[in-house]
Amino acid sequence: MSISIRAIHPVFAGEVSGIDISQPLGRGEVAAIEAGMDRYAVLVFRDQPLTDDQQLAFSRNFGELEVTLAGQMARPEERRLGDRLELGDISNLTARNQLRARDDHSRMYALANRLWHSDASFRAVGAGYTLLHGRVIPGKGGNTEFADMRAAYDALDDATKAEVEDLITEHSIVFSREQIGFADYAPGNEERLRPVRHRLVITHPVSGRKSLYLSSHIGGIVGWPVPEARAFIRDLTEHATQRRFVYAHAWRVNDLVMWDNRTVMHRARRFDDMKEVRDLRRTSIKGTGPMVEQAQAAD
Amino acid sequence: MPISIRQITPVFAGEVSGVDITRPLSREDVAAIEAGMDRYAVLVFHDQRLTDDSQREFTRNFGTLEASPGGHIATAAERRLPLDMQDASNLDKDQKPLARDDRRRMFNIGNRLWHSDSSYRAVPAKYSLLSGRIVVERGGHTEFADMRAAYDALDDATKAEIEDLVCEHSLLFSRGALGFTEVSEQERAMFRPVRQRLVRTHPVTGRRSLFLSAHAGGIVGWPVPEARAFLRDLVEHATQPRFVYSHQWRQWDLVMWDNRQTMHRVTRFDETQVRDMRRTTVAGDAMTVAQAA
Repeated sequence: MSISIRAIHPVFAGEVSGIDISQPLGRGEVAAIEAGMDRYAVLVFRDQPLTDDQQLAFSRNFGELEVTLAGQMARPEERRLGDRLELGDISNLTARNQLRARDDHSRMYALANRLWHSDASFRAVGAGYTLLHGRVIPGKGGNTEFADMRAAYDALDDATKAEVEDLITEHSIVFSREQIGFADYAPGNEERLRPVRHRLVITHPVSGRKSLYLSSHIGGIVGWPVPEARAFIRDLTEHATQRRFVYAHAWRVNDLVMWDNRTVMHRARRFDDMKEVRDLRRTSIKGTGPMVEQAQAAD
Repeated sequence: MPISIRQITPVFAGEVSGVDITRPLSREDVAAIEAGMDRYAVLVFHDQRLTDDSQREFTRNFGTLEASPGGHIATAAERRLPLDMQDASNLDKDQKPLARDDRRRMFNIGNRLWHSDSSYRAVPAKYSLLSGRIVVERGGHTEFADMRAAYDALDDATKAEIEDLVCEHSLLFSRGALGFTEVSEQERAMFRPVRQRLVRTHPVTGRRSLFLSAHAGGIVGWPVPEARAFLRDLVEHATQPRFVYSHQWRQWDLVMWDNRQTMHRVTRFDETQVRDMRRTTVAGDAMTVAQAA
């Protein structure tokens, strides 16, 4: 059976069938998935039981893996998934597999994932693809929502398109956490918290489509007073996350969802994390292409 | 010609005709407007050439004018208008638009976040009345969201969860949300957080509503990040387009709204243009919850 992709939303997102991603892929399959990503920006693979190793192997088809910032900033004994920092722990569990306490430091940090963001936009080269695999799913809530930043860009009026065309934004993990009142970082992380700059409008290297590179990690626009910049970024985010641009993924165990951080934002939704376990594992591919131009803007 | 009110959106807001509010009103007119406020929560009056004095007179029909400091960083010397007339313009004392980086302008940008007026006061405001003296051609709309409809649309589990929650409100939170954090010790003391119930009940209609506001920065007993993430979710729910009326200003519009039942915000406009809006506020008459000692 060959790979096929069915659109699951009017503007983006596709569900892939006819492939077992736990096994090594042929070159044609990788190309088909990449072409699907360029078109749909979010791909859903159902019923794919994966071990950590298999997820890492599947992810490497698409480039070099990133290490996660939360992993880098955590002490070794706090890491539930050991020293493989390419594997992000998107769960509500402690290193001892217990539910995190309500005021747990990692929980406070992770709550900012409920704000719309693009993964690793706080790095000079933000993430390309992210791949998230569902191991344990709560009975209610905990969806991941995606918003299509190409459709959001296209829907701007011409005056706004002209206004945003050359704007440069400043991103830091500090800015997204600050919005929900979290500012507790261990010493030694200063370099990781330093803002980086990106273009607000980026062009996809393959499809050539423009998109809004928005993220809750944005804290400013170069040359703008901070409150004015933040109010404007909020307005743009509200525009860009209208329901017509949003696909809400309701998780099933063994779903793998992959998305392109250059063309979508995403966020997690609330669930009863004091009572239910949600265990997802994340891998991210280092970005290339449009990010080069953005790195130069940081000089 | 008697007062009549035409509903504007499917859920709330009404346009009033048949009354000249620049003149003294009869008891019946006042009662009709109050009944309209209870029902529609936002009322729009067109072509009302109010002066500051006639706006005050009209406002006093509905209660006491709020005239206390604590709502702004502008000093007495900087204020363009007296304390009982809130300055919702973008102007300085010389009637010139504030400079892009003027601290008062930075503070005012907080009005682009959804809020309820004076929710940062222990006794929050009842009505606000905004008169459009000079309006801009593009943008600068005032948007309103119906917090009764938003409450009604919550699922039962959420209604039960929030029933007894108490929030902490302060101008420090709404301004901090946009990165305005440099405040003096005196300002910090003036903006000390107050407590408000998250669910309140209208004294006349008995309808419940969500008492949300950008000024809310915490929930008593909750970790701050969890509270803020939850409040954001509620605000997003409560400001869906179906609950929103967007008012596009014409000169001499007077819009009055009930802060106990609505949130509002201003939308962006070209601030090199003059926009002169003047607000009077009817003080509330009760706290929503006892304040912390």
